Amino acid sequence: MTSADEEELVRRTARGDQAAFDELYRRTSPWLAVRLRRRCSDDDVVAEVMQETYLAVWRAADAFAGASVGGSAVGWLWTIAARRLIDAFRRRARLAQVPPAAALAETVPGAEDEALGRLVGDDLGDALRRLAPELRQVLHATVLDGLTVRETAVLLGVPEGTVKTRARRARVALREALS
Amino acid sequence: MIRTLGAAETAPTTYIGEIRAQELRVRAGRRMAVDGLDLTLGTGVHGLLGPNGAGKTTLMRALATVLRPAGGTLELLGSSLQGRVDLRALRREIGYLPQEFGYYPRFTVREFVEYMAWLKEVPGREVPGAVQRAIERVGLADRADDRMKTLSGGMLRRAGIAQAIVNDPRILLLDEPTVGLDPEQRLDFRELLRDLAADTCVVVSTHLVEDVVAACTDVVLIDAGRLVFQGVPSELERAGDSGGVGDSAAERGYTVLLRQHRGSAEGAR
Amino acid sequence: MTVRGDGAHASGELLERYAAGDAGIGPDTLWALEAHLEACAACRGGLRADVSPGVTSILERVRAGLDIELARTPRAPARRRWLPRSFRWTAPTLLRWLAMTGLVVTVALGFDVANQAVGSHYPSLVLLLAPVAPLLGVAAAWSRRTDPAYELVSATPRAGLYLVLRRTLAVLVAVIPVLAAAGSVVDASPARWLLPCLAFTVATLALGSIVGVPRAAAGLAVTWAVAVVTPSLVTTRPPVVLEPRALPAWAALTAAVVVVLAVRRSGFSRLPSGR
Repeated sequence: MTSADEEELVRRTARGDQAAFDELYRRTSPWLAVRLRRRCSDDDVVAEVMQETYLAVWRAADAFAGASVGGSAVGWLWTIAARRLIDAFRRRARLAQVPPAAALAETVPGAEDEALGRLVGDDLGDALRRLAPELRQVLHATVLDGLTVRETAVLLGVPEGTVKTRARRARVALREALS
Repeated sequence: MIRTLGAAETAPTTYIGEIRAQELRVRAGRRMAVDGLDLTLGTGVHGLLGPNGAGKTTLMRALATVLRPAGGTLELLGSSLQGRVDLRALRREIGYLPQEFGYYPRFTVREFVEYMAWLKEVPGREVPGAVQRAIERVGLADRADDRMKTLSGGMLRRAGIAQAIVNDPRILLLDEPTVGLDPEQRLDFRELLRDLAADTCVVVSTHLVEDVVAACTDVVLIDAGRLVFQGVPSELERAGDSGGVGDSAAERGYTVLLRQHRGSAEGAR
Repeated sequence: MTVRGDGAHASGELLERYAAGDAGIGPDTLWALEAHLEACAACRGGLRADVSPGVTSILERVRAGLDIELARTPRAPARRRWLPRSFRWTAPTLLRWLAMTGLVVTVALGFDVANQAVGSHYPSLVLLLAPVAPLLGVAAAWSRRTDPAYELVSATPRAGLYLVLRRTLAVLVAVIPVLAAAGSVVDASPARWLLPCLAFTVATLALGSIVGVPRAAAGLAVTWAVAVVTPSLVTTRPPVVLEPRALPAWAALTAAVVVVLAVRRSGFSRLPSGR
C-alpha cells in the first residue's frame, strides 16, 4: 500500500469507478477525521466538512485528477478540507455561533515517541517545544496546514494583524533558537 | 500541505482601509462621472447606492483598476494608483463582476471559471479546488458542467460571482449582482456576502435598497459623482423619519438624503 | 522546515494517542507526526477509527450522508481540456476572422493566377495585400466586439500586452503559412513581405494602445490600401516600398514601433477611457 495508489484511486474515480471512490474514502477518512478534530472541537462541523470534501472530490474528480499529478492526493485532500473548514467557521461566525477551535494543547514534555522525535532535528524540536503556544498555533496553521494568514485569522478567531505579529515573533524565536 | 511562510505575507498591514479615495475624479466618455469623491472602505459589505447616472459603475470600474483616475488619489490595499503601479500584483487580490457581464456561451460553468482563474494567475495546482469551491459557494454545483448558454439569467449572474471569488480576493466588487436572482437565490447570496464580510472588503453596487439594508454592514450613497452619505443601514432608515417618499424606512431615508444633498448643492451654486 | 524521512514510522501507541485526541503529545512530535502522516499511507492505515467513539460516529454519519448524496449526484463528465486552453492563445471569435482572411487571400490568389494566365502585367495582389493580411485577425485579438467578456478580461492580472502578444502570435502563426503558400504559387516570396507584415502587426498594436486595436487596424489597412495598393494597381507597376532595397527601411520602422509598443504597454490593461 503506497501513496501512489491514492492518486490512482482518484483517476479511477474520475472515470466513474465508485468502488475506487469508496476505497479512497475508506483509506483516508479516519486520518482526515482525526486531523480535523484536532482543529475544531465541534463534531458536527467536522462531519459537515468531511462530507462536503468527499462530495467535491466525487463531483470534480476529473478536474482534480489532473492536479494531483506532481503532488500527493492526500495533500490536496487536506487542502480542500482545510478550506471547507474555514468556510464553515465563517458561516458559524456569521450566525454568532463561533465553533471553538481546538483547545491549545498543554505540552507535557517527556512522554514522546523516540522514533518520531528523530524526524524533527533536535534543536528545531527543542525550539518548537519552547515556543509560546499561541505562536506555535499560528505556525501550525500556516506552515503545516497550508492556510493563508487571512484563513488562519478566521480559524483562530483573531484579527489578521495578530496572526501576522505572532508569525513574525515565531520566526524570530525559531531563528534565535537555531543559531 | 507543508509550505513556507514568506516575510511578505507576515509583514504588518500599513493601510487603514482596503479602499481609500480622496477627491477622486474619473472620466466616463466626456463626462466627469466621479467628481471629487472622498471614501474610505475597510472589511465588511458596503452597499453602493445612488440614482442612475450617479457614477456608480464608473466608480466600480476605477476600483477594479480598469479605468485610470483623471484626478485625486486612489489607494487600494495601500498601493496608490498614481504613476507606476504593479497592476498585476494588485489585481490578483481583486475580484470584479461588471454590470454587463459578457460570457462565452460554448463554455461550461467550470471551464469559464477555470479560464478566469488562469487569467487571475491562481497557481495551477490550486485551480481545480478553487474552482469547485467557488462554484459550490454560489450554489451552482449541480450545473457546473452545463454550457453557459443553457443557464437562466440568475444562474449566469451566479457564475459571474463565482469567477469573482475564485481567487479569494481581498477586495470584491460586484456591480448589480442580484439582477435576475429570485428571492430565494437572493437570500442565499446575502448569506454568502455575510460570510465574506469577515475578512473581505466587498462593494455591492445596487439600486435595490432592500438588498443593501439586509446584507450590508455599511451604506454608501453617491449622487452626481459625489459622496452623499456613508453610515450603517439603521442610520439610513432613521434619516427617513423626517419625511421622504418610499415604501420602507430605507427608501424614505434614501430620498430624504438625496433631496438634502441636492438642495445644499443648489444653494452652494 | 523539513521532515527527515529516514524510514521511521510512528509507533502504534503514538497513533492511538493521536487518534484519541490526546492533548499531551509534545509539539515537536505532533508536528513531525502530522507531516509524516501526510506522506505515509502505512501509518495512515494504522490510525484505527475504533479507538475513539467520537471519530467512529463522525465516520458513520459522513458515510451515510455520502451514500445519499452520491446516489443523486452525477459525477462530472470528462472535461474537454482543449477549449479553455485554446482561449489562452486565441480570442473567442478568432476563427471567423481567420476564415475571412483566408478567403481574401484566396480571392487575391485567384486574381493573380487569372492575370498570369491572361498575360497582363498587374502586380501581384497577394504581394500587395500580404503586409496587411494579419490585421483582420489582430483586430479581433483585443477588441470589445469580438470578446464578450472584454471588460472582465481587462480587469485581470494577465490582461495586458502579454495576453495581446500571445493572441497576436497565434494570428501570425495561422496567417503567415497561408500567405507563404499563396505566395509560392505566384512568386511573391516571403522575403519581400514578411518584414512589412511584422512591421504592420506591431504598428497596429502600438497604435492600438492609444486608439484601440480595431481602429488602428482599420486605419493602417485603409492607409496602405489608398497609398500603396490602389496606385500600384492603377499604374500596373509593383510598389516601390515592397522592393528588396526598401527592406532596411522596414527593419528600422519595425524597430521603432517595437520601442513605441514597449513604452505604451500599459495601455492594454485598461479600458479606453472613452468608454
